Amino acid sequence: MKVKSEQFREVAIEELKTRHTRSHLDVIGLFISEMRRASMGTFPDPSAALELGRAIRAESIERLPELLEEFERNATANGAVVHWARDADEANALILRIAQERNVRLVTKGKSMVTEETGLNDVLIENGLEVFETDLGEFIIQLLGRPPFHIQGPALNIPVQEICDLFMEKGIMNEPTLDPVELGHAARVFLRNKFHHVDMAITGVNFAVAQTGTIINVENEGNIRLTKSSPRTQVSVMTLEKVVPTMQDAMHMLRLLCRNCTGQKIASYVSMDSGPNKGREVDGPRELFIVILDNGRSSFYRDPEVREILRCIRCGVCMLECPVYGKIGGYPYGWAYSGPMGQVLNPLMLGLERTQDLYRACTFCGGCKTACPAGIDHPQKFLYYRAKDVEGDPRYKGKRRPWTESSFMGIFTWVTKRRWRWNLGIKAARPFLNRHVEQGFIRGMKGPVEGWFKSRDFPAMAEKTFHDRMQERGSRESGEPSRS
Amino acid sequence: MDNPSLFIPCMVDLFLPEIGEACLRVLRRLDLDPIYHPEQTCCGQPAIHAGYVKKAKDSAKHFIDVFGEDDAVVCPAGSCVCTVKDRYPDLLQDEPTWLRRAEDLAPRVYELSQYIVDVMGVEDLGASYEGRVAYHESCRVLRGLGVSEQPKKLIKAVSGAELVPMQGAEVCCGFGGEFSTNYPEISEVLVSEKAANYIASGADVLVACDPGCLLNIGGYLNRNHPEKRIMHVASFLAEAIQDGRT
Repeated sequence: MKVKSEQFREVAIEELKTRHTRSHLDVIGLFISEMRRASMGTFPDPSAALELGRAIRAESIERLPELLEEFERNATANGAVVHWARDADEANALILRIAQERNVRLVTKGKSMVTEETGLNDVLIENGLEVFETDLGEFIIQLLGRPPFHIQGPALNIPVQEICDLFMEKGIMNEPTLDPVELGHAARVFLRNKFHHVDMAITGVNFAVAQTGTIINVENEGNIRLTKSSPRTQVSVMTLEKVVPTMQDAMHMLRLLCRNCTGQKIASYVSMDSGPNKGREVDGPRELFIVILDNGRSSFYRDPEVREILRCIRCGVCMLECPVYGKIGGYPYGWAYSGPMGQVLNPLMLGLERTQDLYRACTFCGGCKTACPAGIDHPQKFLYYRAKDVEGDPRYKGKRRPWTESSFMGIFTWVTKRRWRWNLGIKAARPFLNRHVEQGFIRGMKGPVEGWFKSRDFPAMAEKTFHDRMQERGSRESGEPSRS
Repeated sequence: MDNPSLFIPCMVDLFLPEIGEACLRVLRRLDLDPIYHPEQTCCGQPAIHAGYVKKAKDSAKHFIDVFGEDDAVVCPAGSCVCTVKDRYPDLLQDEPTWLRRAEDLAPRVYELSQYIVDVMGVEDLGASYEGRVAYHESCRVLRGLGVSEQPKKLIKAVSGAELVPMQGAEVCCGFGGEFSTNYPEISEVLVSEKAANYIASGADVLVACDPGCLLNIGGYLNRNHPEKRIMHVASFLAEAIQDGRT
């Protein structure tokens, strides 16, 4: 998948003007928030349930190496073949080889963020395979050639008319219609035909259970289940943080995932695979491959300051809670993962230099952190990335900031060390600021703060600061000697 | 009860000094005589948020030197309180002596309404205000400090004041310090929605506990809806105390 995170600002401004983006985000925000609140309320003690989820994910990540080995052992014992891939290229090549060795021509896919990350579809298609996304939203954006707009609703911003035109153009249906049910039916008929002839299925993984070697998929359309039960060969791709210790842990995380993702107590379809079809069973693949992808994760796992971001279960509640995402949608983030989930992950995967806006476009409202069922402190990570960027940390490809900013911060913090310096600073700044004042307010200024004044005024700097007023009043002192 | 010390954020000191005066009046109403350390400057939040953590240590250490021995430090800004409580320990983690001092100070730093309601145990200040009041839940007051009921209790106890619900009261106003100047287009959409929700609430005044939100929402209102008022909880209470007396 092409990385476009450098264009964050331009795309964000474009999206703010797009009526469809705005209205869909507003609707989904209100609707899912309400369902989420109601479904979380069905826990006897919602905050205890949240804390338990956080504890499970914290344990999973702390014990990650050991749990992955346990998972591999048990999955292998179930008859699955486990492969490890160091990076995206290795994973893609491996999956391509599995397909080619079996003369696979047609592949159906269940929605999977990780294969967006690796750009698997492009590799398979370049090598002559026919690949169909089977999640309705993913199917639409695959036909459009666009990135996902939202983790749960990859195409929810696409107007019905555009979908109709697209389906006509691509031969998905013969008669135009604006009825969403009819459009869904057309996609269903088209894909059902693909399922009949599919040679190989590729899915993601929501949870991998170390104790039992089971992989779990959660969905609402039934397409993953169809995809997994039709073909002879199934390839399930997971990143290494998907593992949880026990089935009981997985069940609790499932409760939290569904509630926080779509506001459901449980999704319409939950499938669990403990190995391939063992011969006596009526369906399921004859061979099951599980690909465990690292792609840089084990290297930042070593940094205890950022390890915690691997706890993410991709529920997307952080996007729902993020005021910025709620206005601009998924495109500006420019890669597979958007919203706070992507803002903590993408800078580590892609480097701090080309993801500047991802860890800066945040108001520190803390909505993501407060809701996160995995216990990730996103705002704190943004501060960490900013600090690493300022330092020009080579490990995370920090860029360093413009000298004007770093000198300003140097002077600013030096001034905060003594009140007399602070007072001198005020004296120097006041005439400079207040020459813009009309009727008590600064109405506009050039330079780095210019943006503020596009829609807002700012109060004039007081002729007498609070400090001046207290000094004049001869207020009570703390009794300590002056440190100036 | 020992007198608390007043921590006046730089934004209040320089641009909204009347909020500081209001804090004094409200605390004096409780028969407290707040201590003011004239050595105080800025907690360093702008530098911390911009990633200049090494430089920001200077600001943090100065703050700890100034306030470190106080029994209680009261501040009319949720986000500055969060900086001291949450960020200082992170910032100073590799300097054990300073870290200990930062951790020792953290639990003694309070947001104003939190101090009045939770520490002083007072809700009714004997104040009066005739009108409808909407309350904006500043992010780092609500989610940073878990303070939400305290200011509402204070408002409700003002005789004649009717606290009215406001849609999206807990949604960020789009300030975020440097965010508001770095991403003005996104910030504007958020603050304009906040203003619209305030106007739709039918309230006569919007009250908040953080000067950042006050600058942002107030600056937007001043430009676009100059007839609508936003007040810091301290200013609102101080004015209502005044009215309660007459």
